[in-house]
Amino acid sequence: MNTRVDPFLAAVIHGALENVAIEMGHKLMRMSYSSIIRESEDFGTALTDATGRQLCECTMSTPLQSGPIPGYIEGILKELDLRGDEIRPGDVFMHNDPYAGASHGPDVGFAVPIFHGGQLAGFSVTTAHHLDIGALTPGSCGIVDAVDTYAEGLQFKAIRVYDGGKKVEPVWQILRSNIRIADLVVGDMEAQVAAARIGAERYSALLDQYGLQTVTDAYEDLLDYSERLMRDAISSIPDGSYNARTHIDGYLDSDDPSLKDLPIEATLTVKGSEIHVDMTGTAPQTTHKPINMPLVGTVDCAVWLTLRSILLDSETYGSIPQNSGLTRPITIYAPRGCLANPIFPAPVIARFCPGNALADTIMKAIAPAVPEQVSAGIGNLRVMAFSGVSGGSQWVHMEIMEGSYGGRFGKDGMDAVDTLYANTRNNPVEDIEAHLPLRVLNYELRENVAGIGTWRGGIGSIRGFELLEDGAVSIEGDGQKFKPWGFLGGEDGSPANVQLVRSGNVVEELPSKIPYRQLAKGDRLIAFGPCGGGYGEPKKRRSEDVLDDVLDGLLTEDGARAHYGVVITDGKVDQTQTQRLRSQTS
Amino acid sequence: MIVIGVDVGGTFTDLVLADLHSGSITTHKVASTNANPAEAVITGIREICELSDVSPGDIGSVFHGTTVATNAMLENKGARTGLVTNSGFRDILHIGRHQREQHYSIMQDLPRQSRPMVRRRHRKTVDCRMDADGIELQPLDEDGVRTAARELGANGIESVVVGFLFSYVNPTHERRAAEIIREELPDIFVTTSAGVVPQFREYERFTTAAMSAFVGPKVRDYIDSLQRALTNLGVVSELRIMASNGGVATPALVRERPAVTLMSGLVAGVKGGAWVGAHADATKLITLDIGGTSADIGIVQDGQFAETDARSASIAGFPVLLPMIDIHTIGAGGGSIAHLDRGGAFRVGPQSAGADPGPAAYAKGGDKPTVTDANLVLGRLLVDDFLGGNMQLDLQAAKNAINGLAETLGRNMEETAEGILTVLNSNMANAIRSRTVQKGIDPRAFTLAGFGGAGPLHAAGVAAALGIERVLIPPHPGITSAMGLLTTDLQYDALRTAFEIKGNVDCNRMEGLFADMETELRTLFSKDGIGSDKIGLQRIGDLRYVGQGYELRVEFPDEPVTDETLKTVWQAFHDQHRKEYGHAFERSPIEIVTVKIRGLGDVEKLTRLPQHGTLKNAEPVGTGQCIFRVNDTLNTFETPYYRRTDLGAGQRHKGPAIILQKDSTTVVPPDWTFAADGYGNILLERVGSDVSVNGGEQP
Repeated sequence: MNTRVDPFLAAVIHGALENVAIEMGHKLMRMSYSSIIRESEDFGTALTDATGRQLCECTMSTPLQSGPIPGYIEGILKELDLRGDEIRPGDVFMHNDPYAGASHGPDVGFAVPIFHGGQLAGFSVTTAHHLDIGALTPGSCGIVDAVDTYAEGLQFKAIRVYDGGKKVEPVWQILRSNIRIADLVVGDMEAQVAAARIGAERYSALLDQYGLQTVTDAYEDLLDYSERLMRDAISSIPDGSYNARTHIDGYLDSDDPSLKDLPIEATLTVKGSEIHVDMTGTAPQTTHKPINMPLVGTVDCAVWLTLRSILLDSETYGSIPQNSGLTRPITIYAPRGCLANPIFPAPVIARFCPGNALADTIMKAIAPAVPEQVSAGIGNLRVMAFSGVSGGSQWVHMEIMEGSYGGRFGKDGMDAVDTLYANTRNNPVEDIEAHLPLRVLNYELRENVAGIGTWRGGIGSIRGFELLEDGAVSIEGDGQKFKPWGFLGGEDGSPANVQLVRSGNVVEELPSKIPYRQLAKGDRLIAFGPCGGGYGEPKKRRSEDVLDDVLDGLLTEDGARAHYGVVITDGKVDQTQTQRLRSQTS
Repeated sequence: MIVIGVDVGGTFTDLVLADLHSGSITTHKVASTNANPAEAVITGIREICELSDVSPGDIGSVFHGTTVATNAMLENKGARTGLVTNSGFRDILHIGRHQREQHYSIMQDLPRQSRPMVRRRHRKTVDCRMDADGIELQPLDEDGVRTAARELGANGIESVVVGFLFSYVNPTHERRAAEIIREELPDIFVTTSAGVVPQFREYERFTTAAMSAFVGPKVRDYIDSLQRALTNLGVVSELRIMASNGGVATPALVRERPAVTLMSGLVAGVKGGAWVGAHADATKLITLDIGGTSADIGIVQDGQFAETDARSASIAGFPVLLPMIDIHTIGAGGGSIAHLDRGGAFRVGPQSAGADPGPAAYAKGGDKPTVTDANLVLGRLLVDDFLGGNMQLDLQAAKNAINGLAETLGRNMEETAEGILTVLNSNMANAIRSRTVQKGIDPRAFTLAGFGGAGPLHAAGVAAALGIERVLIPPHPGITSAMGLLTTDLQYDALRTAFEIKGNVDCNRMEGLFADMETELRTLFSKDGIGSDKIGLQRIGDLRYVGQGYELRVEFPDEPVTDETLKTVWQAFHDQHRKEYGHAFERSPIEIVTVKIRGLGDVEKLTRLPQHGTLKNAEPVGTGQCIFRVNDTLNTFETPYYRRTDLGAGQRHKGPAIILQKDSTTVVPPDWTFAADGYGNILLERVGSDVSVNGGEQP
């Protein structure tokens, strides 16, 4: 095997690079104010080379934040080139253009250029999801009715926020006066700049110690290394074409048929050590509704992440450096003007759920080729933004509602957890109630709704909130109509739903997307999470596993008999009856 | 007074006996008895008493580090545990923070779901609810608690934890529920979440409390059986048990709060390193304890140990909220295996050959190249002087193993062996950076204390990678943990959640919280027979800017809380924030999240190391060919071997050198010097990388 630097030095430099990205993440997470960064960990940090190729990422960051970082840098470089602008030491750039790298507008990136010997050597970048970016309604999620990208909030295309080391005050003033809860958001942005600068400092020191050429060679080796792993994994899949089609809700309450029941289709062509992903068959873009997915920043990340999680599962492979080498063997095509490749200025701010559904479609397509490495269909997520004015000041709170995984070969799906391209953390009940006029009513697993199979799907949660003062909510969800898919004889899982309970216990079933809606004190929102699909034939589920679910209150004895053919009496499996029942029906 | 320190490890149980008056020290090692660790403890105490001609009845105190709680967690073998919690919140322990452990994995398991401490069938809910201010929204359904207790009893539950929301503000419901459960199930271990740790974040608090319940019965039985055995042996003094916070606790306290021993075994090492460091005037110290499979790192500044923050500590994949010394463990040790991974990258560890089969050089069937093999091939270990000559090493086997890897890499054997050490040292240096550079601490100002069997082999190499210029090797590197036990005071911590915001602090309430904690701690100490003149109390707060999610620790002045005294607290917080993150938000409001008191109860302990022999001119016991990298090239040096016991105080020698002793081997590279001090420590100092090297020639 040919490498540019000796393997020992390479190991030392790779370790140092990763250490830098982790330090950036650690500091960003700790310095930031809003719960979306510090608790949910919806941020990314990475170092890139001078062209934007990613060298390393922070292990704490969420994949959907660090994944797009190369695209941010490419977008910044392209924009500066158009303007005939040059990067100078001490500059810091702000960028969130979803048509030039960003996943959507609220994910604002800050890039600090790194110079070595008077030459641009790379970038230190932080990205983070901000609570508000000056859109039409408070918060940065649940903006499900923006008509174009201009309605989604401020747009930054390679904006210089520090110029040769000097703060560009007017820009910061614009931020302060156009963003709600500016103290929080601008504080988080300052934390992003501080963390990116730390990364730049550390990277410079590394260049001083080893020289640009050696470090460059070491990371070229690192990219080759990641590429080699991915190619080996792809090579083990039989050549051929693998197709899947799923549907998202879109706007279930809309009269316009082009806004609901929207197909997402993926065809994966495996040839040797390469995969080509073709999204043809996916619904046309929703020109005036923001559930379109930027091809660069959302679709590509969803594809990469899913294939990597399946083919190079870290449970088996250990941690593999996430860098641009991993994506080299994968090409992606989506017809222009479809949901997965929208045309500017089609709005994209609510691309979160469709993007994760796309990730799920990729898994469904490849599943027959690698059945022991996938889960059955996942339950998608949902974001709720609560807001209001309390004691004279405005508040916004975002809560990401978890989904669940489908059953897997040899094990049940993971319950009540973020799925595929999202991996955030919930907010403690005790943190929410201590700081916001909200009461959490419950938070536990749903019962009798799991996707049945030899290995059942993961179980969704039920989580309810009550407003203690007048306020508002926006909801950005999906997966309320179409069930997570079952696999190899396993049955489909259960969809999600949300209820609004108003005074007098009037229950209203809500569609998956709710634009800003005012609520009164005492109103309650109850979110039922989706349950992943089952894996394998239910009749083959071990009777002890069925019994465990019954004893744990997740399944009734009647359910055990009806779905699994397992007869339980007095807390024990009746083997004779079970055998009889199972042989009858199979 | 005679004191004994007993540290139980996976392979050996180490003992130190010290006579506090004469200052004499005896050390001993026996094989651990993992099925019942008390057996080895008793055997060891009996033997060390015989060795030093002491009657067990004359022992003043037995200090003990135990891994019973840790192993119960790691092996998932705890008590059958039940939970009683609020209606509607049955699955907090199961859902956790709804995050996956690994970003990129479909097949991963979540420990909270795949091996729960409390199964769902044993999680019972009852009506009751407090709000965030501790005001009762719904009264406790006492009949519901009684029914739940009976059901749990009928299910054969051995231990119960009560966890209610907001119990850290108002524990009334939890306490009452525990009372009822004890009435119904008098023989069962019952604990409450606020009783274990009254801190916000329900998943982490409930989990910590569940852990206490899970390991509780096991720890209690172990302590009881150990005490009985000690009594039978004729030991009349009380047992002191190492706690995760860095102090020792009495058996009574450990029975009540078993979770305090979760890190018992690990902490003793850092304590021992710190204590030795203090003797060498090292006020800033990094402890590096390297064994066969892992390396443990601790940071000590001015006698203060770095503590974990509430968000970072975990055991076996479960979060722990208790005050614990921050010990960072990585999979790197003498048995770590060097290999190429699937993508062809060169890696050392975390897989380890362990003790069996062990490194290839052990000639017990191992054929994979390990760190020990690399050390042997490079001449840093001696074939016939390993572990005091108790074990013969097989050089050819080591060479074969390294050569196999070298061929794959297209490098020669020496380069490969040296590469293994470079990568291992670099991994450890990165781990140390994560606890220093990442927290705004410059490691170059520190002394690195290397101990454990393999620490002295690598300390200088790791130090060089970090720019550290001073390395300390304690007199008995292999038993530093047992020694650390003898240097420890009683330490109890109390804490309360405060949630007070700058500009609006209720000083009376704050003072009340502190006073309440003081009373709690003084009561504990007086139960242990510690006079009030022997008690030291330090007020501490965990603060953050309003809206942040992570707190930083700041000491409070030892005076009543007033707006005036708080000023120093606010300033200390800004300073700490700037130090750790390089940035302070001076105009932002600050929130006091938690207040704590750390209580130290002074006990009789080891205060000095025995003085070593007078200056004598140590002569090498032999020489050998050792290979070192100097100025980026590998050179072979004719290297002297010294016997550690020959080294008199004060005499400084030039590297390269290898220092031999029974429980470890110290490597002094070419650009370092070394000298023993009056306590028998060896101090290595870096001369500088551009030192002119005598006798080096390229292999």
